Amino acid sequence: MALNIAVLVKASLDPNMIRTRGDDVDTDSMPLAMSEYDKNAVEAGVQLKEKHGGRVVVVSALTWGPLAKRQREYEQVIREALAMGADEAHVVVDEALVPGDPLATSKALAALLEKLGGFDLVITGEASMDMISSQLGARIAALLGVPFISYARRLELGDGVVTAVRDLEDGYSTVRAKLPAVVSVTGEANKPRIPTLIQIRRAFRKPIKKYSLADLGIEAPSKPRLEELKVIQVKRKNIIIEAENLEQAAEKLIEALEREGVLPKA
Amino acid sequence: MAARVLVAAEKPEQLQGLAGLVKALGAEGEAVALLAAGREEAEKAAYSVFKTLYYVEGGGRLQPCQLHELLEGLYAEHSPVLVVGAATKNLTDALARLSARHNLPMFTEAVSIQLSGDEVTAVRQVLGGRARARLAAKAPAAATVNPAVYAEQAQGLAAGAELAGLRAPAAVLEETGYEPKKREAVDLESAEVVVGVGRGFRRKEDLAMAEELAQLLGGVVGASRPIVADYGWLSEDRWIGISGKKIRPKVYIAIGISGAPQHMAATVDSKIIVAINKDKNAPIFQYADYGVVADLYQFLPVLIKKLRERLGK
Ligand SMILES: Cc1cc2nc3c(=O)[nH]c(=O)nc-3n(C[C@H](O)[C@H](O)[C@H](O)COP(=O)(O)OP(=O)(O)OC[C@H]3O[C@@H](n4cnc5c(N)ncnc54)[C@H](O)[C@@H]3O)c2cc1C
Ligand SMILES: Nc1ncnc2c1ncn2[C@@H]1O[C@H](COP(=O)(O)O)[C@@H](O)[C@H]1O
Repeated sequence: MALNIAVLVKASLDPNMIRTRGDDVDTDSMPLAMSEYDKNAVEAGVQLKEKHGGRVVVVSALTWGPLAKRQREYEQVIREALAMGADEAHVVVDEALVPGDPLATSKALAALLEKLGGFDLVITGEASMDMISSQLGARIAALLGVPFISYARRLELGDGVVTAVRDLEDGYSTVRAKLPAVVSVTGEANKPRIPTLIQIRRAFRKPIKKYSLADLGIEAPSKPRLEELKVIQVKRKNIIIEAENLEQAAEKLIEALEREGVLPKA
Repeated sequence: MAARVLVAAEKPEQLQGLAGLVKALGAEGEAVALLAAGREEAEKAAYSVFKTLYYVEGGGRLQPCQLHELLEGLYAEHSPVLVVGAATKNLTDALARLSARHNLPMFTEAVSIQLSGDEVTAVRQVLGGRARARLAAKAPAAATVNPAVYAEQAQGLAAGAELAGLRAPAAVLEETGYEPKKREAVDLESAEVVVGVGRGFRRKEDLAMAEELAQLLGGVVGASRPIVADYGWLSEDRWIGISGKKIRPKVYIAIGISGAPQHMAATVDSKIIVAINKDKNAPIFQYADYGVVADLYQFLPVLIKKLRERLGK
């Protein structure tokens, strides 16, 4: 069976590169990067393709502005997924989805998936690294009316059925669902490959198609208002212990902890 | 019969925090609760802030699709303005499905929720836990919360909710296997000293050094996500981070941990943070009070020896 797999890839704000204006996070000047666990989603899709044949399609919605200056950045994120082995990409770019919210974004992505049609499997990450909402997969499955398997750390296909091991708080649950289905994978599902230079170059020949909400035949969905986005300030002393040797470093550290009153008394 | 708030939990202890939330919202007596467990479990958590506490006849572990079905029934019956689940993986999944079906906004792991008129305001941590977002939407809305956040409001709650049994709906997904995870009796959240281990440790056996250090200081060993989830070297109870446990010790000693925001966000309430890392540019040093730039394999034996001398052990 030639598989038709969609992977959902988000161009996320990079939490390691926070930019601020006063206490406010300045999202407009933060760089975008592929959401960490979406790399696991792409890897899972490409591995299934390698095993069973078929194609992997990247599906994405741009949810951070300003849209006018984000073109190069999000294309770079999408190209990274293509370089990992995906075949083509489809992206929704529409002012109505900025800033993103799972309520609105899921409707756009579900509409795009429906328009493209015929997917056996849709794979998402367990959570996006910027918004950490863990909702998109479940919402899309519900909107498409297909089964959803969340937090999969192993994933296998056979005979029109997907089998997955769900990684839960108290245990591992193995479940089966008929295709088509939506699955979210955890960061432990696999080791995402790092594309070679040749693969990166080849990715430039793979198509990226853009859509507005009007192209998808849907209206701007409602979504919550993002009223405030403030950085959490933590003040630390940031003292690096300078010492001649390890003995001295250990002594200085112990003295510091005694001064702070956090060591048990001798 | 309408109820303003519908809450859902998988375990009775989660209901305590959710009851605290109901109180904080001023919705006492206007809330109903679902516990995805049997009657005996429900009796342990039948707080009177709930008009009705629904349990599942025969109990058992429910799949997200079953939790969703149960929530659909209760949502239709009570038309709540707010649906809140404990932020477990299964309930996050089930609530997101409910939200999609009913066009609800959903606030995952909200640290505060306010209801005023038909507006719901929620605060949640985003960007790996480094920033706080305030979001507002028209009710009805859904959210998940870490019940521990509302534990204080739950002090001295009275019992008295009416119990009602529900039949578990059939599961769409077939479960073909279940393997429970090992648990240890460690309490990271209230430990006064926590020694954190990360990928700087090369072998599981090497964690013995961290264990020795923790014992000397009367503390416990915790870990970054890869040590627990990827390598399985330590149990889930020791996982520190936004997807694990939040700690608030007097001192947190992070060893061979790079300082990813998703890890550090759960350590902000530590009084003092010490970082030991061989890379002087590791982000962890920005989050630390005291940093030692050293190879843990060389430094830990020396530190342990010096501490022994100092503590007379
Ligand atoms: C949605 C999401 C949720 C997440 N949730 C969590 C979470 O709850 N908890 C969590 O921890 N992570 C979480 N992560 C993962 C997080 O981003 C990091 O990948 C992870 O914390 C890194 O773990 P680490 O510091 O042990 O490993 P690394 O980042 O690999 O760091 C290892 C460090 O050890 C140092 N080192 C190596 N050898 C030595 C030596 N001999 N001596 C001294 N130092 C040495 C290195 O310099 C390096 O700094 C999450 C990520 C995402 C996207
Ligand atoms: N804007 C987006 N475009 C494409 N995929 C997305 C987008 N937002 C979220 N996803 C997918 O849904 C997963 C969960 O995201 P979230 O619900 O935001 O935590 C991510 O890991 C992605 O696979």
